[in-house]
Amino acid sequence: MLTSELVLGTVFLMLGVVTLGVAPARRWLSSMKTGVALLVLLTLLSVLGVVIGQGLPPEAYTERFGEAGGSFILHSGLAAIFHTWYFMLAVWLLALSILTCSFGRILRFVRAPGKRLERLGSLVTHLSLVVILAGGIVMARYGSRRPDTHYLKAGDTTEVAEGGFSLRVEEARTEFSENGVISEYVSVVTVIEDGVETGTHRIEVNHPLTVNGVGVYQYEMMPSAESVEEVLLGVVITASAADGGPFELEVPFRETTVIPGTNLTVKALSFYSHFTYDIEHGTAGLASIWHDNPAVLVRLSAAEGVVSENWLFMGTRGHESDGNLPCRLFFLDYEPDFGNGLTRFEYSRQPGTPILFTGFAALSLGLCVTFWTRVGRREPK
Amino acid sequence: MSGPDVLFFWVALWCYLGGTVVASFYAGLRRKSLRRLVLALTAVGFASNTVALVVRTVVSGHLPVTNLYEYLTFFAWAIVAGFLIIWRRKELDLLTVFAAPVAFAMMVVASLFPARIEQQLIPALQSYWLTIHVTLAVLGEAAFAVAFVSAVLFLVANRRGAAAAAVDGGTPGEDARGPAGADRFDEMTYRAIGIGFPLFTVGALFAGAVWAQRAWGTPWSWDPKETSSLIVWLVYAIYLHARLVRGWRGNGAAILSIVGFALTFLTILGSRILGGLHSYG
Repeated sequence: MLTSELVLGTVFLMLGVVTLGVAPARRWLSSMKTGVALLVLLTLLSVLGVVIGQGLPPEAYTERFGEAGGSFILHSGLAAIFHTWYFMLAVWLLALSILTCSFGRILRFVRAPGKRLERLGSLVTHLSLVVILAGGIVMARYGSRRPDTHYLKAGDTTEVAEGGFSLRVEEARTEFSENGVISEYVSVVTVIEDGVETGTHRIEVNHPLTVNGVGVYQYEMMPSAESVEEVLLGVVITASAADGGPFELEVPFRETTVIPGTNLTVKALSFYSHFTYDIEHGTAGLASIWHDNPAVLVRLSAAEGVVSENWLFMGTRGHESDGNLPCRLFFLDYEPDFGNGLTRFEYSRQPGTPILFTGFAALSLGLCVTFWTRVGRREPK
Repeated sequence: MSGPDVLFFWVALWCYLGGTVVASFYAGLRRKSLRRLVLALTAVGFASNTVALVVRTVVSGHLPVTNLYEYLTFFAWAIVAGFLIIWRRKELDLLTVFAAPVAFAMMVVASLFPARIEQQLIPALQSYWLTIHVTLAVLGEAAFAVAFVSAVLFLVANRRGAAAAAVDGGTPGEDARGPAGADRFDEMTYRAIGIGFPLFTVGALFAGAVWAQRAWGTPWSWDPKETSSLIVWLVYAIYLHARLVRGWRGNGAAILSIVGFALTFLTILGSRILGGLHSYG
């Protein structure tokens, strides 16, 4: 990365010196043909980039373009074309061409009378492109962007090294509209700098938090891996055959629920979205935050006390081993707990953004002035 | 869930279809009554298209530009609006009647996508930048559509004019079929691109970059749709640069304008084909 920048920087400087000193080079760079040729080159490279696809796994290129084609794409840099030396060289040359061309425009603007507004617009348009390219280079060189490697739940803290602060998650929840569609992902965090809490903030999609020049973005949100809103149990009464038809029972998490037609109660004590069992220590636990093997610990109680306490696994038979139980329970489904979710942030520092946006604003203004003063006039034939 | 707007959508589509059929007769027969009929059908279609968009906005609670059905319906509306601005210009009469075919084509493509109304936008789309970004981009693209039709008519008129001049011993006609008439289309192509290019720059690129910074933490990701938009911008930049600096016109310029619009249309459908960050629906 640094080497290619040094090479390109050196080439750029040399071209600059040559351009200033040698009239033919200056003419070549400032000519319309060169400008258009560079635009065409960048267009073709961009089309190649879109058609081939960028940043895909190596096997994807082999699958699409065959062994030889895939290998060529990977080795020539076409898989990451917008970061190759030849793409960057075309960009640098275009910047140099625009600068050289703009120098002539400044002279014309100062010397020639008439059409001053249009000329100013054209000049601003061209110079703004250089500003945009400069912003892009600053972003590429000094910008950074990384997602947090951890999913965080309320109470967890993560360090944002690039900003010199920490974040403690106070809340992580998914909000829903009345018709059950996701309406917002919300994280409430406390910022901690040098051990001191500096404030509590709400982070949502499109509403990042910026601390010390680092943007904290809502990147991902998952329902809780260790709690649920409610489990849906299938119940078969085995003690009394007359009342025993299978039925479904909604059991709110950690709340005692009476099983209809019996004197039994049921309570969902624990939940793991991806259950695992540590044989050595004899403990149940969480293998990952994904909902791959959901299991719920269910306690069945009667008036005289606890009848059984078992892990039920979704989609499998439950309580089958104990034939003496008055009923059999099955873990059919569950409603995830979105109110106590797991949040994941992305951190972004983009020091080139103000330069880029200044360039874009100038470009927009320049284009409007250039074309909207011109299109109202008839062109000379 | 489809809304009551769909009825108006279909009325608009059928009117544009009727306009398309009559326009093709007008192109051959050049009767004033046919032109009036095309304009009437287009106007009724446009009114119905407007009602469809307004009803959808009211029902959904946001500007209907959040999926391809809505985007293309809005695009068809903007294209017809662009043509209606110039409908009084007699020298461009052939151009104005071709609003209906283009709008019809867009509505047909729109009808291929689900017409569901999303009353609750996904979090990523809940931003006022959605309105700014998409509205300006659509208006710019609509201007490119006008330029596209104008460029096609230029090629046809230029070819017929050249053929007629060859038969008449080199005297080009003064009507739209001769090179003198073709020049009007050439100029209209340039003017439409001159209006659309700044709108597209501000809407698709600038507003898009600002929104991307707020939503994704970077103004530019080389996402397929972003890159496609840049390609469209580069193509029109080449056209305008060549035109303004060298006065480039004629068949080459017209073909470049047609290529530009083809790429614009591919960019609109791009997220469906290429995926990426813009894959919302």
